[in-house]
Amino acid sequence: MPDPIRVAAVGDVHLADDLRGRYAPLLEGISEEADALLVAGDLTQHGTLEEAEAFADEFGAADVPVLVVLGNHDYHSGAERDITRLLEDRGMTVLEGTSTTLDTDAGRLGVAGVKGFCLGFLGRSAADFGEPQMKAFTSHGIETADVLRKALDDLGDEPDVTVALSHFAPVDETLVGEPKEIWPFLGNYRLGEAIDETGVDLALHGHAHAGREKGLTPAGVPVRNVAQPVIQAAFRVYDVVPRRSA
Amino acid sequence: MNEQLARDLERDIATDPRTNELGIRVQVRGDHLVVSGEVASEERRATVIEVVREHDTGLEIVDHIMLSAEPGPGGPGHEQIEPPQRS
Repeated sequence: MPDPIRVAAVGDVHLADDLRGRYAPLLEGISEEADALLVAGDLTQHGTLEEAEAFADEFGAADVPVLVVLGNHDYHSGAERDITRLLEDRGMTVLEGTSTTLDTDAGRLGVAGVKGFCLGFLGRSAADFGEPQMKAFTSHGIETADVLRKALDDLGDEPDVTVALSHFAPVDETLVGEPKEIWPFLGNYRLGEAIDETGVDLALHGHAHAGREKGLTPAGVPVRNVAQPVIQAAFRVYDVVPRRSA
Repeated sequence: MNEQLARDLERDIATDPRTNELGIRVQVRGDHLVVSGEVASEERRATVIEVVREHDTGLEIVDHIMLSAEPGPGGPGHEQIEPPQRS
C-alpha cells in the first residue's frame, strides 16, 4: 500500500483576540504529522478584519500549506472579501467554488472548497416554490452545490487524493446530536450529491458543533465533521491512502 | 409565555453583536432561567450571561454554559482513510 497523504483539519475555531495563543503553539511543527492543514470555516466569531488577523496570526504558525473555506460567521460583518484578501496576503489559500492541488511526498492532493449554504436533506429540504424569498433561499443552496461540483470537476483525475472542503454539512449523519429542527440550516444534501458524482476520497465540514465526527455519503465517501467542539483538539489528521492503490 | 421568553432570549444572544452565539439554549424552570450550550472562552460565557441579565426577567439565572475544551497538545492521533470501493 502506498504512503498516505496526511490531511490535518479543523473547523469552527471562531478566533478573536480573546483566543489568541490557543492554536499557534499547537500548529508549530505540524509538518511532522501532516502535509496540509484544511480549515472548514467559521475562522472568526463576528467576521471582522481584526478577528481575521487573529486567525492569520494563529494559523500562520503552521509550517504546511493552509487551505480554508469561510463560514457563515465570517460573512456576518460583510467583510468576507477583505478577509479573503487578508488571508491570501498571509499565504493561505481561500477556496470558494474553486480548487487547488498540492504536491506532497506521497502524491498530489486536490482540494475543492465552498462555504455551502442551508437546504436540508432529502424529504426535508427547502423547495424552489412559492415566494421569491423562498426561491432565493433554495436556489442559493442549490447553487453552492453546483459550484462545488464544478470545482471538483476542474480537478479531474489528476490528484492522487481528492478532498471536498465545506462549512455546511453534505450529509445528515454527522449532525446527530444537533436538534433535528435545525438540520436544514446546518447542511445541504446537494453538496453530498456533488461529492458522490466526482470521485472524492474524503469530505470535510464544520458548522455542527453538537454533531458527531463520522459519517458517509450515500455512495460511501467518508465524511468527517471537524468542528473544533466535536473533535476537541487543535486538529485531526486523516491519512488518506491514494486511490491508485485500490 | 415562558417558551416565548426563552426563544426571545436565544434570538437576542444570537443577534447581539457582543455575543453572536448561535448555540446557546435557554429554558425556564420554575423561578429559574437555565442558560446552556457551549462557548469558546470564559469571557464569552460572561458576556452571554450579561446579555441575559439585561432582560430583567425576575428569574434566577442558572449558568450551565460549558467551555469548549481547549485544543490539547499532540493532537488526537491519525485516522486512516482507505479509498472508497466504487461499483
